[in-house]
Amino acid sequence: MRALAFAWRSLLRRGGRSALGIVGIAAAGALMFDMLLLSRGLLVSVRELLDAFGFDVRVLASEGIPQSRLPIEHALETARALSALPEVASAVPFRIGEAEVAADSDRPDEVALFAVGATTRRIWTVVDGRDLSGREDDALDVVVNHRLAERMNAGPGTSLELRGRCSATPSILPPITVRIAGVATFPFDSGAQLTMASRFEVLDRLCERPAGEADLIMVASRPESGPDAAVDAIRKARPDLYTFSNDEVIERFERVGFSYFRQISTALAIVTLSFGIVLITVLLTVSVNQRLGEIAALRAIGFSRHRMAADVLWESALLVGIGGLAAIPLGMALSIWLDAILRSLPGVPATLHFFVFEPRVLWLYAGLLTGVALGAAIYPMWLVTRLPIAGTLRREFVS
Amino acid sequence: MVSAGASRVRSISRVLFVVGLIVGFGHALPSAITVNDTQPDPPAVLFSRQLLAARHLQVGDVVELSGDPSGANPQQFRIAGSYEPMPDPIRVTSERLEARLHLPDLLRLTGDPDNPQDDDSLSAISVKLRRPEDAEAFARDWSARVPAIGVRSSGGGETEHNPFEVLSRFHQAIASLTVITGAVFLLALMVLLADERRETIGTLRLIGLTRARVLAQVLLEGAIIAGAGAIFGVALAALTEGVFNAFFQWRYDTSLIFVRVTPSIAWRSIAVAIPLGMAASVLASWALVRSNTLTLVRR
Amino acid sequence: MSGSHPPIVEARDIWRIFPMPAGPVAALREVTMEVSEGEYVAIAGPSGCGKSTLLHVLGCVDTATSGELRLEGRDVGALSDAARSRLRLEKIGFVFQRFFLLPMLTALENVELPQAEAGVPPAVRLNRARLLLDYVGLGHRADHRPSQLSGGEMQRVAIARAMANRPRLILADEPTGELDQATGEAIAGLFDLLHKDGTAVVVVTHDPSIAERAQRVLRMRDGRFVDGELA
Repeated sequence: MRALAFAWRSLLRRGGRSALGIVGIAAAGALMFDMLLLSRGLLVSVRELLDAFGFDVRVLASEGIPQSRLPIEHALETARALSALPEVASAVPFRIGEAEVAADSDRPDEVALFAVGATTRRIWTVVDGRDLSGREDDALDVVVNHRLAERMNAGPGTSLELRGRCSATPSILPPITVRIAGVATFPFDSGAQLTMASRFEVLDRLCERPAGEADLIMVASRPESGPDAAVDAIRKARPDLYTFSNDEVIERFERVGFSYFRQISTALAIVTLSFGIVLITVLLTVSVNQRLGEIAALRAIGFSRHRMAADVLWESALLVGIGGLAAIPLGMALSIWLDAILRSLPGVPATLHFFVFEPRVLWLYAGLLTGVALGAAIYPMWLVTRLPIAGTLRREFVS
Repeated sequence: MVSAGASRVRSISRVLFVVGLIVGFGHALPSAITVNDTQPDPPAVLFSRQLLAARHLQVGDVVELSGDPSGANPQQFRIAGSYEPMPDPIRVTSERLEARLHLPDLLRLTGDPDNPQDDDSLSAISVKLRRPEDAEAFARDWSARVPAIGVRSSGGGETEHNPFEVLSRFHQAIASLTVITGAVFLLALMVLLADERRETIGTLRLIGLTRARVLAQVLLEGAIIAGAGAIFGVALAALTEGVFNAFFQWRYDTSLIFVRVTPSIAWRSIAVAIPLGMAASVLASWALVRSNTLTLVRR
Repeated sequence: MSGSHPPIVEARDIWRIFPMPAGPVAALREVTMEVSEGEYVAIAGPSGCGKSTLLHVLGCVDTATSGELRLEGRDVGALSDAARSRLRLEKIGFVFQRFFLLPMLTALENVELPQAEAGVPPAVRLNRARLLLDYVGLGHRADHRPSQLSGGEMQRVAIARAMANRPRLILADEPTGELDQATGEAIAGLFDLLHKDGTAVVVVTHDPSIAERAQRVLRMRDGRFVDGELA
C-alpha cells in the first residue's frame, strides 16, 4: 500500500480528530486566503478603476494636493498638441468643480462636477438618454448619476438649476439652467455622491474661470506604444508639465497610502500560518504518540524510516490539502462580508474593492499551505524516524 | 470647533492651505525653500520635525515661504524652533511637512492684497468650553445666532461612516473570525485530551463517580486550561504591544499608539476564552462520559 | 548444536548493554548461537533474562553493543538502517505478542502490506495474501478488520503477514502470550507447520507446550545461555 493510501486510512481511522483538523485548517485557511486577497486587492481595484476607460497617463501643471495645484493653461491647445504625438491615441482635458442644486429641502445639495473639454473618450457610461455632444446647442447639457437623477426626480430632458461653488465664500454669480442629456454610471462615485458631467462651458459660466484652463489632461496611449512611451514623449515635448502613468500613480499610492492593508494582511497571514502549523503538528504528534507500538512493529517488519516519515508527511498533506480546499469558498464568502465593511469608508468609490481575486493569490495560497503541511510534519516525522524499535516494542509489552 | 462657510473640499483651513503649499513645494520646487539671510529680523516660524529633516534645515535658518503655488511674492521667516505634529490617525501615512506661523503673519502671507477683508478673514475658530458636555447645545445655539457660519461639536459627526468606526468594525470582524478559528483549535485539543484520558474516565466511573461528577471535573479542567491560555495570551499581547507600536511608529514616523491592550480588552478576552474552553471540553468529553464504562477501560 | 544446513543466523560473543540511570545493564552477555536453515529453536527463561533482547538483535531490530552477527553469511553490523530495514522486509518475519495488526486495514490488506513495501505487483501480492490466509485457516475472514477477529485469529493473520515475503527466518516473541491455552495450542501448531515447510523458526516463549515442540531449546538466565547450550 503506498504512503498516500496508508495516510488516508490512518486519517479515516480517527475520523473525528481528522475532521477537526480539517475544519481548523479551513477556518485558518479562509482567513489567510482573505488576507492574500486584501494584500494587493485595493491596488488591483484602483488600477482597474484608473484603467477603466483607457486613460493610462495623467498630465498636471504641478504636483501637490488638488487644492494647491496650478491649473493647466491653454488646456485645449495643449490637449490637441498631445493628441498629435505618435504615442498618444487621445488627450482629454478635465476640470473638477462643485456645484449646488436645490432639491425640495431647504438645504441645497452638493454636486461633484466633471467638465470635459472634448467629446471623444469618457470616464462614464451612459445608461439612459444620450451622452454629451459637441454641438453648440448642447453646450449646457449635462449627464448625471443615478443618485442625482433620483434625488431631483429627474431624467433625460429635465432641466436643473445649478449654482457654482467656486471658493470658500458663497458664489454671487447667478444660477444657470442646464439640461439633463442622459444618466450615467461614474466609476469613481462613492455611494452617497451626487455627480454630474458637463462640457467646459457649464463650469465657465458657473465659476468664471479663465477660458481654456483645465485641472488635468487625461491621456490614452496607443496600444502599440504603451503608457511608458507616451509618458516619455510628453515629458520630452512638454517638460514644464507633470506627466505620470497609472503605474507611477499606483506605485506612489502603494508607498504612501495603501501600506496599512498590506501590513495588516501580512500580520494576520503570519498568525494564521502559525496557527495552522501548530494545530496540525499537535494532531499528528498525538496521533504518532498513540501508535508508537504500531510504528515500531512496521519498522520491525521492514518499513524504512523514510517510508514511515512519508506516511506522516502524507497525513499532514491530506489534512492541510483538504482543509485548504474547503477554505477557498469559505474565504470568498467571508471576503464579501469584510469587503462590504471596508467599502463603507467615506468617499470610497462604489466600484472599488478591497478584497480582489487574482490568479496569483491561488498560487501564493497553495505555496503557503505547502509550507504549513511541511512545517507541521517536521516534528512528528522526526519522532517516527528516531523511534527506537526495540525499546518501543519492549515498552509496549511491558505496558 | 466653529467652522465658517462650506464644509466641502475646497473650503479648507488656512493652516492646511499652507501645509499644502509646503507639500507642493516639497515635491515640485525643491529650491523654493531657500536659506537667505538678507532681511533683518524676519518673523518667526515653527517647522515640524519632519519638515526640518526633509529639507535639511535647522533652527535659526531663514527661509522663504509663499502663499502662491507658483512661489510668487515670497516672504522670509526665521525658523525659531521645531515641534512634533499632533499625531493624526487620518494622516498617518502622510509626511507631516508643516509649519506654524503667527496668525497675522499667516494672513499677510496668504491674503489677497487687493481684498481688504482678507486681513480679517479666518476659516475656523477652535473653541474650548468650560463644560465640554455643553458642546452640542453650544453649537446649536451659535448656529442659530449667526446663520452665516457653521458651528459643530468636534466630538460629533456621523459615527457609522466615520473612518475609525469602519476600521473598528473591520478589526472586530477579523477578531471574531480569529476567535472562531481558535475555538476549533481548542476543540481539537480537548478531543485529544479526552482521548488520552479515556481509561482515567473509565476508572473514575468504575470506582463510583457519577457522570455529572466527571463532567464537572471536565468543565473545571476546560475552564482552567482556557483561562490559563487566555491569561498567557493577554500577557503575550501586552509584551508585544511595545514591539508593534515601535515598529509602526518607526514606519510612519509618528508618535501615535497603534496597539493598546487595555484592562477592558484583557477582561473581554478572558471572558470569551473561559466559556469557550468549558464548552469545548464538555463537547469533547461528552461521548466518552456517556460511553459504557467497561469499553473505556478495555484495551 | 547446529543443524546440517548452513546457518541462517550466526551470533558470536554478542553483548548488549543498556545505559541506565543506576548504571549500565548487560541484557546480553557473550551470547553465541547459530540457527540453521529449517531449524526450530525455542528460547526460554525467566522474565527479564534477555530473551526478547536477543530476538531483537537477531532480527536486526536492535544493534549489539559488541560481537558479530551474520545473516546468511553477511555481517549486518556495518549495514545502514535502510539496509537493515530491507533485510527485515525480505529475509525475516516477525510475530509479536500483541499482534500489532493495523486496525484500519482488513486481514487481507495487513498480509499484503509487507509485499507492497517490497514492490510486489498488486495481482501477485493479492494472490499470495489469499493463499497465506488460507494457509493459516482464515481465508474466509480476509475482508474482516482486526476489531472483528478474536485474539487467536489476529495472531494467525500476524503469522500470515510474517510469511508474506517468503522469509527464511521467522522470529516470534511470546506469540501465545495474550492467548488462552487452546488458542495457544493452535498457534503452536501453525509454527510446527511453518517448520515442516522449511522455514527456520526461533520462538521466545514462557509456554512449555511451545518450547517442547522445538528441535532445540536454549535456556537463558541473566543474559547468558545456561545448560551448556552454546553453538
